[in-house]
Amino acid sequence: MSKELIRLRNICMAFDDELVLNNINLYINDKEFLTLLGPSGCGKTTTLRMIGGFTTPTSGDVLFDGVRINDVPPHQRQINTVFQKYALFPHLNVFENIAFGLRMQRRPDPSDPRKKTKIPEEEIRERVMEMLEIISLKGFENRRPDALSGGQQQRVAIARALVNRPKVLLLDEPLGALDLKLRKDMQIELKRIQQQVGITFIYVTHDQEEALTMSDTIVVMDKGSIQQIGTPEDIYNEPKNAFVADFIGESNIIDGLMVQDKLVQMYGRQFPCLDGGFAPGEPVDVVIRPEDIDIVPVEQGQLTGTVTSVTFKGMQYDIIVDFKGFKWLIQTTDHSPEGARIGIKIDPDGIHVMKKSQYSGMFGDYSSFSDEYDELDDASLALDEEESGDEE
Amino acid sequence: MRGNTKPRGRALSRFFTALVFLFLYAPILLLIIFSFNKGNSNTVWTGFSLDWYKSLFQNRLIMRSVYTTLLVSLLATAIATFAGTFAAIGFYSLRRRSRTVLNTVNSIPMMNADIVTGVAMCLFFVAFFTFWSDFAVWFNGVQHLVTLPPRLTLGFGTLLIAHVTFNIPYVILSVGPKLRQMDKNLVDAAQDLGCTWMQAFWKVILPEIKPGIASGALTAFTMSVDDFIISYFTAGSSSSTLAMTIYGMTKKRVTPEINAISTLLFVTVLVLLVIVNLREARLEQTGRQERRPRSQRLTRFLDSPRGKVFRRGTAGVLAAAFLVVVVLLTSATNAQPTVNVCSWGEYIDEELITQFEEETGILVNYQTAESNEALYSLLKSGAGDYDVIVPSDYMISQLIEENMLAELDYSMIPNYTLISDRFKGLTYDPQERYTVPYAWGTVGIIYNTAMVEEPVTSWSVLFDDDYAGNVLMFRNSRDALATALSYLGYSLNTTDEAELREAFQLLKDAKGRGVYQSFVMDEIFQKLEGGNAAVGVYYAGDYLTMLENNEDLAFVVPEEGSNWFMDAMCVLKDAPHYEEAMAWINFIASTEANLANMDYIWYASPNQEALEQYPAYYEKLYEEPLDPEIYEIMAAPQEVLDRCEAYLVLPAHIRALYNDLWTELGI
Repeated sequence: MSKELIRLRNICMAFDDELVLNNINLYINDKEFLTLLGPSGCGKTTTLRMIGGFTTPTSGDVLFDGVRINDVPPHQRQINTVFQKYALFPHLNVFENIAFGLRMQRRPDPSDPRKKTKIPEEEIRERVMEMLEIISLKGFENRRPDALSGGQQQRVAIARALVNRPKVLLLDEPLGALDLKLRKDMQIELKRIQQQVGITFIYVTHDQEEALTMSDTIVVMDKGSIQQIGTPEDIYNEPKNAFVADFIGESNIIDGLMVQDKLVQMYGRQFPCLDGGFAPGEPVDVVIRPEDIDIVPVEQGQLTGTVTSVTFKGMQYDIIVDFKGFKWLIQTTDHSPEGARIGIKIDPDGIHVMKKSQYSGMFGDYSSFSDEYDELDDASLALDEEESGDEE
Repeated sequence: MRGNTKPRGRALSRFFTALVFLFLYAPILLLIIFSFNKGNSNTVWTGFSLDWYKSLFQNRLIMRSVYTTLLVSLLATAIATFAGTFAAIGFYSLRRRSRTVLNTVNSIPMMNADIVTGVAMCLFFVAFFTFWSDFAVWFNGVQHLVTLPPRLTLGFGTLLIAHVTFNIPYVILSVGPKLRQMDKNLVDAAQDLGCTWMQAFWKVILPEIKPGIASGALTAFTMSVDDFIISYFTAGSSSSTLAMTIYGMTKKRVTPEINAISTLLFVTVLVLLVIVNLREARLEQTGRQERRPRSQRLTRFLDSPRGKVFRRGTAGVLAAAFLVVVVLLTSATNAQPTVNVCSWGEYIDEELITQFEEETGILVNYQTAESNEALYSLLKSGAGDYDVIVPSDYMISQLIEENMLAELDYSMIPNYTLISDRFKGLTYDPQERYTVPYAWGTVGIIYNTAMVEEPVTSWSVLFDDDYAGNVLMFRNSRDALATALSYLGYSLNTTDEAELREAFQLLKDAKGRGVYQSFVMDEIFQKLEGGNAAVGVYYAGDYLTMLENNEDLAFVVPEEGSNWFMDAMCVLKDAPHYEEAMAWINFIASTEANLANMDYIWYASPNQEALEQYPAYYEKLYEEPLDPEIYEIMAAPQEVLDRCEAYLVLPAHIRALYNDLWTELGI
């Protein structure tokens, strides 16, 4: 197994009297691709900045290779960062931007170890050119950052960080400013680069799809606390609470009662499932992913409902179905017309039972579902991010 | 319909644009044109010449103030740019709420009226000096290694502090937005890549905010050069900025010399602006491609261990050096023999200052005040710590009454014996303890013979309807009421309220009937010279200056009598340069100095020899005899003086009555 590189121990962080991070415990392995995922203001960027050395925790320890580094300034950490909106130096060209870190470096003089010496110019040139190759931007070294496209700037920012051969690369929403197509390409590109250079990437995003695509490990955060740590599959299939279930993918979350192990009751009916370990009669949240629901004729259905809206999505239809006033999202390849009565069937492995939490009842109802609504929500979140970033 | 309005709207907007430009630039154009005028008028063109520019560069007052202005502006700009830049960075790194508060606090000094800032600073400095003198006396008492100057005065140091203070907000204001525009992750990125904060500042922040710093510095410099009011209150008696000197010169009238210097100022600013604009345009054109990081050598040095010590030491050394410079500069006036003189504008032949400095090695700081009242308030505020002042008779009485003058040591002023006995022991200084007369003159009626047929002999022309709408009256209560009192046959110094009210009624009725074209002071020069008014009332010396530009003007001291005045040199109590002041007074009282002054200012000398010799002096100088009539106007003969009366200081309640009446008149 790979060895542990970074550990956050009982980290708390407060700005003024506001608790931004609440008792964070987390370890990160060498060569791991770890993603901090969560909505704006969840504390993920603060966590990243703490690892980078830009902020110090109010209490708790940051350990690097077992050594406490709380008070080590950023320029003395073997960690480099790719910043949101790239933060390239506008007055320097691509070459100088990438060479910046190397020019700042001092290492023991081979002839006299007591002295420190600069990296020789030939080596700088060599390493910068090597990086330009990795990011496929050879021939761009004399360009100014403002003469590059967003994707190119992004890659220069990555090269500028990687050229220093850090042990860890921190990436703060690096793809946030790119358009969808480019973002998808860069996701693959980033993963490739990580595998090529073989170092730890700590990645911050609020985009669950990005997190699922790239990560070895995902840390879901909300309100300054870690909600769940796990592989993408774990997080998707076995969400710990309603927040995670809702944030990762689409989920119908229904109030249920655990009748006994492997049997859950919803809408007064009993459904076989695979979960256990609950007290008999314990109220629970039940997660049913939209793609795990089969539409069947009314008479064969475990439940019956009325279709209230149908949206064609290319690969599938998004159908909203009203079950006794609670609206479900169902993704299916079969078309059912609006107003139709349908039955549904759910396989036991399509049902995931969670303990009740502070998030119960907040998510999982599609009564107000609309694509437009979701986008508006995102835009306001993006604004919030800037506000809170400013405060730091 | 809408199509119709468009061309008309365009024509209208063009018309308004033209109008705006006309209003903006016509006055400046006029000023530039008249700076090349041969004569000394601003209304009558007498031919092209560069004489005014030549005399400008020979004018030592102006040249010295140009030097002071440049020095203070450059130093203040440098210091303010340095301090302001770092202050802006400090603001920037604060949380938004505190930043907003600080930004507001920062912009208050810019919005604040200059006069408030100026007075406040003056008060602050004076308070500090009081504290300092106590401290220095104590400090010098407890140890004898270092002697601190116990007496600090307003001067270059305070001027510099004031300029730095009012410049800093402008720098912060122009650097702040550049910082906010800057990607806030840049500094983090630099630190992430191995920079300390200081290195990040040199390598990343500085190149980013350089345009802001440059424009902040430029604004600060312009503000410094431009400032008048704050300088006026903080420069003290020993230094004058250009703006202060120009203002001093305009107190009498706007001479073409002022036009010349204003033209030069205008052109300088224009050139500066053009350079800045061109530079920006070029930068925009070539993009930022060609620029290479220039600060590299400096950064390299600062990175070295030696540089680290240097860096740490610099801040401390700079701060200490600044303090030392300020204390040195403020006390420099004490080190070199100096005399601080405050007089009126255009009231001395400046050659005399140079001559005095060459003969004695004493530096003369020569400043001017606007009026007796302005001088008085300057003295009271503590801003005017002059040695020698030249107030008028009634003001002298008041100053003596308030115990503000020092007794003169007449043994050091042998030339006092040359003063005519007629002008010694006058009512304001009956025991001859405080004053040496400087110049005297009469007030009379000036009229245009082309517009007024009969010779004027009486004040009645100022109150009758004969020249209604063409009469100019004094715009100050004492002089205006004096004409009416004179006309009515009352004393100019009457304390009888009924007499004053009668005089006031006369004035008010005339005003009501539209007799007066306007109430003026020095505007009278332009009006009478240009033939825009027929009759006015003003000083004899000034009449002679007007006569040079308009030969139709005549002067008369009315038969009812008039005001005659004497300005005399006095020394302020506790003057720091008492002996130098005596030397100056003695020099000015000499016959040669009186002759030169008389020729230059056209006011009569109190020096008996100079009075007698002037016609011969004139003839020798101009190779033509002096018109005896002109000489009589300049130095009124005794029979004229006999029917005139000098002002005395009025009791407070009468001064208040004057104010009330003046307000009631509603000028």
